Order: sequence, then structure tokens, then C-alpha cells
Amino acid sequence: MPAAHTATLDDDRATVSRMAGGDSSALAALYDRHARAIYSLALRILADAAEAEDVVQDVFTQAWRQATRYDAARAPVAGWLMIMTRARSLDRLRRRRARIATTGMDPATPHPKDSDVDQETLAITTEQVEQLRGALEVLSDAQRTAIELAYYEGLSQSDIAARLQQPLGTVKTRIRTGLLKLRDALAGRGQP
Amino acid sequence: MTHDELRELTGAYALGALSDAERHALEAHLPTCGDCAREVRELAAVAGGLAFAVPQVDPPAALRDRVLSAAVAPESARVQPIRSATGAPPVRASLLPSWLAAAAALAAVAIGLYAMTLRERVGRLEEQLREANARAEGVERQLNVAQSSADRARQIASVLDAPDVRAIDLAGQKGAPSANGRAFWSLSRGLVFTAANLPAPPAGRQYQLWVIPKDSKPVSAGMLDFNDGRTVALVDPSTASRGGSVAVTLEPAGGVPQPTSDPILVGSLSL
Repeated sequence: MPAAHTATLDDDRATVSRMAGGDSSALAALYDRHARAIYSLALRILADAAEAEDVVQDVFTQAWRQATRYDAARAPVAGWLMIMTRARSLDRLRRRRARIATTGMDPATPHPKDSDVDQETLAITTEQVEQLRGALEVLSDAQRTAIELAYYEGLSQSDIAARLQQPLGTVKTRIRTGLLKLRDALAGRGQP
Repeated sequence: MTHDELRELTGAYALGALSDAERHALEAHLPTCGDCAREVRELAAVAGGLAFAVPQVDPPAALRDRVLSAAVAPESARVQPIRSATGAPPVRASLLPSWLAAAAALAAVAIGLYAMTLRERVGRLEEQLREANARAEGVERQLNVAQSSADRARQIASVLDAPDVRAIDLAGQKGAPSANGRAFWSLSRGLVFTAANLPAPPAGRQYQLWVIPKDSKPVSAGMLDFNDGRTVALVDPSTASRGGSVAVTLEPAGGVPQPTSDPILVGSLSL
């Protein structure tokens, strides 16, 4: 439904520009449209309902504060929100790990930057998300595990290799091959 | 790194799973290699979709009000658009060659996330400061407790060490014949009172220590902390200097101005 999809995008942009103008009812509209997706991603990453709720609050607080900075040319609103959600969630996850680890954060292995995710690409449609979920099922367990550890746990390739006790080269190949397979699964249905 | 080695990094780059060194190497390569840049864009699209590829769960209904009121709270200060400050126009991806668009979009995200990371770090530092302050207050309280214990120990030592100290045995009376006590009494420095085998006081009652000067009414020397039948008390010099006898009675909790019962322990300073 490309028409409906476009309507939502336009709607979201109008909503964020109303937020930029200080209209708090626009924030409520944005919440009603996206809170579920934000909460679900935070819950998947943190596996803790209370922390996931805090992330939802952080993300909408940040969206309200930064509505004036939102640039529609760069990313759809949903993508903007999900990038904030992943960054906030992974940050909490890393803080939790740092609290657990006796030595705290190890400066020798810096955490991967989240900057690598291209916002504009989050314009994928609901349909494509459904396809993606289906495609995740056809990945080998090893490929899926490596991708999930990177995306949902914020682990670097070398963290993943250590966690899975696999050679680094194997992990690199699994991640790239797995993502290429997902891409092809998406492209296979009407994508040029 | 060879081209093939760099190509191998595109997936992990899209997922944010590279080390800084690898990321820098790939980012330096992208503007020179259309194939890799296109692959990064495509895989980043797929990676972005992973945000939505999770089981969908409704947040608790009560969260809505909490979030909406917290987000617009006055302390949630609004930021000004960053563009006017830098003077740079927004990057329009569609007008740029694909690798440059990808690079520009990534740079834009990187700047945004850098600012986000900084804010996160400030927030974290504030949190640490609050924790440190709380810890400091805790330490201060412990220090005060330790300080007063040390003061008390020093006063007790000074009494025991006084040139005029006398040890007086106190005998258990009718109410507690097996109780025994001892007072180390210095008219100049105070009195240290110890007792053992005291029966547990009934509910609502406490042992009270008295100094009874000759030909005068008893003066309260405080309530006794009762700890497994034993107690140690320190009586200040102004009370102790009056001499006479020392006695313990069982009184209503909190103490009374004058004894209301017969003493359980009693002893005299015989000069």
C-alpha cells in the first residue's frame, strides 16, 4: 500500500513540525503511532519491561527536544525514532554490562559506533518488514545469531567471535552473507 | 587492507559492529568504490529494518501519560536547529551521487549520534556525581559514628587512666541477685559503669543509672543500653564528681527524674 505508506510519512513529518512549534498534542499523536514499535525494540534489546519503558520516555523526551532539528531530507520519522531507540537501549545495556563486569568498561575494546546505520534506509515499508521477518527465518542459525548479537546486543565482530568461540573470519562472513541473503529476500519481491 | 578484506566488512559496518580502526578504513574506501558504497547502503537498509523485525508488544497503558508529561516538562529544554548555527544547508540525498549521498547521510548520522553520545555522557557523569555525593554522605555519617565511638573510647580510657580512679564492685539486689557490676570512678574525670547478668528488662521498661551524692537526691546518669545482659556507660565528670553511691533501677522507658523503684545494683564510693 504505497499510498497509505506515503500518507503516514507525510503525517509524521507534519506532526514533528507541529512539535517543533511547541504543540504537545502532536507529541501525543507521535506516541500513538510509534510507541509500540519503540517499546518492542527496547524490550527486545533490554529484556526488561521497566528499562524498556524508560527508553520510551527517553526517546520521546529527546524527540520533543530535538523536533526543531529533525530534517525530513535525511530520514523518515520512524527511522529517526528507531535509531534513537536502539542507541538508548544499547547504551543502557552497556551500562548494565559495565556495572556487572568487575573491571568496568575496557578501553582497549571500544564499543562499535552506532553511526554506521544509515537513516535514509529506514524508509522500508511495513510489507518489507514482514518479508524481513520471514527472511530471518530462512537464515542459518549461525548467521541469524551473529546478526542478532550485533544489532540487538550491540556487540562488535570480535565480541561476537569471542562470545560464540568462533574464528573472527567466520563471524565476518556469517554477518555479511546473512545480510546479503536478507537483502536478496527483500529485493526478490518487486524491488528493482 | 585489500579490497576483498574491506568488502568483507560491509555487513558489520551496517550493523555498527566494526572496531574504530576497521570503520575508519572502510569509510576511507567507500568514496573510491561505488560497489562497496552501494552494498553498504543496501545492507544498512536491511539492518535498519531489524528495528521492526521484533515481536511487537503493547507498552503498558499508563506509560503514555508518564511519557507525555515527562517529555514536555519545563526542564526538558528545547534545542535550537543546528543548521542555522553551522550555516550549512541540509544535505539532499537525491541530488548527490550515490556514494556521496551514502557518505553524507552517514556523516549526518554520525554528527547526530556524536551529540547524542555527548549528552549521554553528561547524563552519566551527573548520575555518577549524584552517586558519589550519596556515598560521601554515607561516609560522613560513618565517620561521625566512628568519631563519636572514638571520643567515647578516649573518655573511657581517660577515666580508667585517672590518678584518682577507684574500682567499686556493685552487688545485685533483690530484683536481680545474680547481676553484678563495677564502677571505675574518678571524681576528676568521670565514671565508667559496667554490668553483666542483668535480666532482660520487661517491655516498656529500661534500666536507669543514678549517682546518689551523700545527703542529696539521686541524679540521673542516663539510660543504660542493654545488650545481651551487659552494659557499659560513661558518666560525665560534672555528675560523677559529686561522689556518693551509684545505683541502677528499672524504670519506665525513657527514664524518670527520680527513681520509682528499689535499686537492682548498688555500690558506694568509700572515700
